[in-house]
Amino acid sequence: MHVIIFSWEYPPRMVGQLANHVAELAARLVKNHTKAYVVTYHDYLTGQHDEPEGVKTYRVTNPVRTHIGVLTWVLTLNQEVERAAANIHYNIGKQLDLIDAHDWHFIPAAVTLKKALNIPFIYSVESLEEHRSHGANSPFNMAIKSIEWLGMYEAEKLIVKSEWMRDEVIRLYKVPSEKIEVVSPKSANWIKSILEIYKNTAKGGYPR
Amino acid sequence: MNREISVMMLTWEFPPRIIGGISPHVYYLSKSLARNGVKIYVVTCDFPGAPQHENVDGVEVFRIDSYKNPSPDFATWVYLMNVNMQKEAAALVNSLGETVDIFHAHDWLVADVGIGLKHVFRKPLLTTVHSTEIGRRNGIHFDYERMIHETEAWLTYEAWKVICCSDYMVSHVRWAFGLPHDKLDMIPNGVNAEVYAKTEIDDLNSFRSKFALPEEKIVLFVGRLVYEKGVHVFVNAVPKVLEKTNAKFVIVGNGYMKEQLSNLVRGMGLAHKVLFTGFVDDETLRKLQRCADVSVVPSLFEPFGIVALEAMAAKSPVVVSDTGGLSEIVEHDVTGVKVYPENPDSLAWGIKKVLLDDTYANSIKTNAHKKIQEKYNWDKIAQNTKTLYEAILKEHSKSVWA
Repeated sequence: MHVIIFSWEYPPRMVGQLANHVAELAARLVKNHTKAYVVTYHDYLTGQHDEPEGVKTYRVTNPVRTHIGVLTWVLTLNQEVERAAANIHYNIGKQLDLIDAHDWHFIPAAVTLKKALNIPFIYSVESLEEHRSHGANSPFNMAIKSIEWLGMYEAEKLIVKSEWMRDEVIRLYKVPSEKIEVVSPKSANWIKSILEIYKNTAKGGYPR
Repeated sequence: MNREISVMMLTWEFPPRIIGGISPHVYYLSKSLARNGVKIYVVTCDFPGAPQHENVDGVEVFRIDSYKNPSPDFATWVYLMNVNMQKEAAALVNSLGETVDIFHAHDWLVADVGIGLKHVFRKPLLTTVHSTEIGRRNGIHFDYERMIHETEAWLTYEAWKVICCSDYMVSHVRWAFGLPHDKLDMIPNGVNAEVYAKTEIDDLNSFRSKFALPEEKIVLFVGRLVYEKGVHVFVNAVPKVLEKTNAKFVIVGNGYMKEQLSNLVRGMGLAHKVLFTGFVDDETLRKLQRCADVSVVPSLFEPFGIVALEAMAAKSPVVVSDTGGLSEIVEHDVTGVKVYPENPDSLAWGIKKVLLDDTYANSIKTNAHKKIQEKYNWDKIAQNTKTLYEAILKEHSKSVWA
C-alpha cells in the first residue's frame, strides 16, 4: 500500500507535537511494509528530499515568499504540496492508495487530489481552531474553521486521538460518529489500528 | 489531433458578473473560439440569479460558490475562492467523458486553480496577463502588493505561454517577471463592432437631453474612478476646454475616487458642467458612446485600453493619453488624438482639437472604425488563439508528460 502523509511540521522543523507524532507514524508504517511518503514544508534549512528510516520525505517551499497572514501562506503552499503529491502518484504508476492529512493546513490539496484523481483521504485531527483560538470567531478564525469543515466533509474517515476530541468534532462540525475513528497513539496496537483504517479506506468505494 | 481541442477557461468574472475588462474579454473570446471549432468550458464565480450551469452560444459555463468562506480581506478571499474553484473544476474535468487539453487562466485571481489543475492532470497551462500589480500601483510598496506581484510571477513561471494584449504589455510583463521573450505572445483584445452598429437611438434628442443641454457638446469618460485611469486629469482639463467651447463632461463609472472627484468639481464651481452618472447598463452606455462628440481615455497606466476601442466602434472620435496599449491602438491624427499623460493642458488641447474641427473629427472617427474591423475583430483573435493552442499541444505531445 502507498500512503502519502501531509503535515506542515516534520523533523527537524518542529512547531508543536505533531512533528514527532508524524515521524513516528511514518517510520512505523515502513516497518509494517507500507510505502510511506511524507510531504511537508521546508524553510531552506531542512533540505528538499531525504529518506530517514525508509520514509520518502518531500519538502516543498512556498513559491510566494511574501505574505500578509497565515492563510495566504498556507493556501499558496498547498499548491506545491499538491504538485509534489501528484508527482509521487504519477511516478509510482498511479498506484497511490491514500492520503493521510494531519490537521487543516493541507486539506485543500487533499480535496483537489480526491476530486481530480479519485484518491481518498483521511483527516487526522490533532487540534481544532475552536480550541486553539479559544472560541474566537473573527473572519480569520472562521476561514480556518471553514477549511476544517471542508476536510471533515470531504474526508473518507477522521482519525482522532481521544474520545473527548471525537465528541468535540461531533459537537462543532456535526460529523456522523461512524465516520470518526478514535485511536490513541499510546495504545499497544496503535499502528495496527491505523493500518486497519488505512486498508478499509483505501479500498473504500473508489473505482479506479 | 483529430478531435476538437478542448480548453477550460478559468476566470473570476464572466457575464452577468462584470467587474472589469476580463469578463467581456473571456465572453467574446470563448464564444468566438466555440464558433471556430474549439470546445470551451468556462469555470467562473457565481452571481445572484445566474445559473450554476448554462450553455452560452456553444460555450459551457459553470459557476462555483465563491462566497462560501468567510475572509478577512480581498486577497485572502481570492485564495479561498481558488480552493472552491479548484475543487469544482477538478471534479468537473474528472466527470467529463473527454480530456481537457489546456487550462487557460486569466490573471492572478485564478493562479492557484490554474497551477493546481496543470499538475494534477498534467496538461499545459496558458495564462493571459491582463494587468499587473506593479503597473496598477505604479510600483510595489507594501507586503500586500508584493504578495500579489509574486503570485503573478509564479503564474507566469508555471504557464507554458503568456499572452498579453499589446506590445506594450509584452515588454512590461517581460520586465516585471523576468520572462524569456519566446514565452510571450501578443494577441490583441477585441471589440464587437456589430453591437454598436445595432444600437439604434430612436430619439437622439430626447436621449441626449438626459445628459446634456442641446447647445452643449458631450465629452465622455468611461471607466473605473481610480487613480490609474486619470479621471482627475480629465476634471482638471474641464475649465480649459470651456474657455473655447460649450460642453458637458459626462463621467460614467464608479470607484474609490468618486467622493474626492465630485468635491474637486464642486470646488472648481463646475458642478453644472460635469455629470457623474455612476454605473450604467450596457445599452445606455453604448448609446452614450454613440452620441458622444468626443470620448476621452486619460489613463496613466493602461495595459490595453478597451474603452478606446469601444468608442471607435461606436464611431466616436477618441482622445487618449500616449501611454501603454493606448499608444498602439491610436495613430495620431489618423485614428484619434494622442496627448501627454497626466497633463491637463495637453488633454484640453486634444479635446478642443476634435470639438472645434468637424472635418478633422469625422476623418479620425471614420479611419478608426475601419481600423477596428480590420485588426480588432474577435474571429481573427480567436483564430490566432487557436493557432497558439495547437502549437502548445504539439510541444506538449513531445514532453515527458505526454
